[in-house]
Amino acid sequence: MIQSILRFLSSVKLAITLIIIIVVVSVLGTLIPQERSVGEYYGRYGGLATLLMRLQLTNLYHSAWYIALLALLTLNTVTCTLTRLSPKLRKTFRPRLEAEAKTLLAVKDSGSLKMNSNLEVTAAAVRQALAGRRYKARQRAEGGGIIIFGRKKVLGWFGSDIVHLGLLVILAGTLISSLTGFRAFLKLEKGKAQAVPRAGFEVRLDRFDTDYYPDRHNVKDWKSRLTVIEAGRDVRSEVIEVNRPLAHRGFVLYQSSYVQEIKSSLLVLEVLSSAPPERAQTVSLRPGQSVALDKTGLTLSLLRFEPNFVRDNGGLISSRSEELNNPAAQVTLSRAGENLVSGWVFARFPEFSMTHGSKASDTKVIFRDIQPGISPDFSIIEAAQDKGVPLIWVGCGLLMAGLCIAFYWPTREVRFLLEGKKDKTVVTAAALGSKNREALSSEFIGLWKALKDQT
Amino acid sequence: MSETTLFKVALALYACALAIYLIYQFIYQFRGKEKLGLAGWSAALLGLLSHTAALIHRTVASGHAPFTNMYESLSFLAWACLAAYLVIDRAFKIPRAGFLFLIVVLALMLLANSPLMPKEITPLVPALQSYWLWLHVSITLLGEAFFAVAFITSLMYLAAASREKKGGQPSGLSAEKLDAISYRCVAVGFPLFTLGGLVLGMVWAYKAWGTYWSWDPKEVWSLITWFIFALYLHTRLVMGWKGKRSAVIVIIGFLLALFTYFGVNYLLAGLHSYA
Repeated sequence: MIQSILRFLSSVKLAITLIIIIVVVSVLGTLIPQERSVGEYYGRYGGLATLLMRLQLTNLYHSAWYIALLALLTLNTVTCTLTRLSPKLRKTFRPRLEAEAKTLLAVKDSGSLKMNSNLEVTAAAVRQALAGRRYKARQRAEGGGIIIFGRKKVLGWFGSDIVHLGLLVILAGTLISSLTGFRAFLKLEKGKAQAVPRAGFEVRLDRFDTDYYPDRHNVKDWKSRLTVIEAGRDVRSEVIEVNRPLAHRGFVLYQSSYVQEIKSSLLVLEVLSSAPPERAQTVSLRPGQSVALDKTGLTLSLLRFEPNFVRDNGGLISSRSEELNNPAAQVTLSRAGENLVSGWVFARFPEFSMTHGSKASDTKVIFRDIQPGISPDFSIIEAAQDKGVPLIWVGCGLLMAGLCIAFYWPTREVRFLLEGKKDKTVVTAAALGSKNREALSSEFIGLWKALKDQT
Repeated sequence: MSETTLFKVALALYACALAIYLIYQFIYQFRGKEKLGLAGWSAALLGLLSHTAALIHRTVASGHAPFTNMYESLSFLAWACLAAYLVIDRAFKIPRAGFLFLIVVLALMLLANSPLMPKEITPLVPALQSYWLWLHVSITLLGEAFFAVAFITSLMYLAAASREKKGGQPSGLSAEKLDAISYRCVAVGFPLFTLGGLVLGMVWAYKAWGTYWSWDPKEVWSLITWFIFALYLHTRLVMGWKGKRSAVIVIIGFLLALFTYFGVNYLLAGLHSYA
């Protein structure tokens, strides 16, 4: 019973079946958007959505049955590799030196040769020829003859095992990652520090810069200058950017995103006075700021900014979205505490305004521009702790080493059967190796020629 | 010379090579045929040199790796496919695959050159500013190029096998040899694809996104492609499948690799939506 279960688990057929099943369901997982809201699934698939969610096809890669499939494939790989490993190890370290002339000659690269030297001398010649080509020879006397196995690159037999070991180490790494991995997003404001959860240290955002390409439109880089604080002391300062994280005490801090509070943008406003003496003055300010205008004794205050102005039936003003579809600024223009103009002005409609205040109807406020290229206010930093990562890299190394060995370090074995006939010897030999037969053939021919030359 | 000129010179030379290979394949059946094969190879090599110059020109002009949008990466894939073919042809002498191969390369080039693919140099978004871009993409595409050679030789295998089954003489390349060449191409392509697509992809993802695997559609499709070639190796090396069934798996594997490269970008949204 246990034997038949083991045989089932270690069969390559199971591996192939599992691979095909995993491939098919993985395709499904890429066709159905993963981890969306319930509403979105109903909108997209209607009545089918219930079924998809019940089958966990909407979060396939983390579902129990998908993980079970991967686990079964892992188990299959382990048993398959182990059951094949012990005969391989025996073959490597304690090979049974057995050879028959008939079976040797059935091999493609084989031959038979009569040498004019006795058994011992011929055996020495064979060993020398093998050593000249870096083969390690093993010898055993049997009956009236001698059997010699010459081998090299024995590691090649284990290439596939190393690949499988690498994959198992990677899977162990992913298991550790998913069980103990931790990540958090920090919304850091310039000049302020925040504790990194579970990390026992704080980080402060000293600077946050956005670099633009010369076209002033495409972002070239986001750089956060972070200072790590431990027990109230600054420990280290570093600039991080996308593709250049900061690692500290097992935590890695990544530049993940940014938040631009559009409502605190720098606005360009112009105050126009049509009464003589005519004058125009341009000022830049942020919501909440006031500025005194030259020589007129006027003060311009920017109370509020809405990027996409809308007023509902009740007169309540808000933004429909964060996009600059209808930017509007609420301003007041005052002199000695008395409001001359107050209300809303619009960037898209400079001629139109919703202002009141009669005393200075010859003075107008125009919303000229929203200053481009202002740097964002918050830097979003991802802090991650993942103890599985070192195992992943070890596994990747084993995987690649194993592949190289499996494909490009093929084991070669040449088997010799020497049969003494008085003071002459009949040599029968065959070259064995599953990969790169052409190179093996040419090496065998060389070996054979070296022996022939001694006759 | 400008990048466009160099690209067009390469295109013209590839067309010449295709014409020579077509003559080699279908018309000229007399003595000196090998020389014709060599002429096709040389024309293709000259085209490759001009193409290389075009890629270098673009790299210098843009200041980043020449595979950051669809035009660039198609052009690079065509380059890699032809380079892989020229290497394999030197090693195994398969001029009969020449015309099929140049059809693939020319198709990629013409697609890259079509108005569908914007050609202007665009600034690199912060996520792509990394030397891992060079390693990850170039090695993956090179692996896929060897899969393309395996694909063509597998198609030729199927044709040769059915011809031999009907009792026809093996013309030039036997089905058995094509089967072996196809395996050798996978033996080059599979480690490259594993290294570039999966291993270096994970390394870069970890550096840029803070996680080495996110089940992004491109990642899943790479894994699917990898699984199919793993299937190919297991059925062939352990279960002894050869010939027709092996060839069919390689063909499926290459089509999956093509979808991973091309289809995912247009049909499935995800983290890899740069091009």
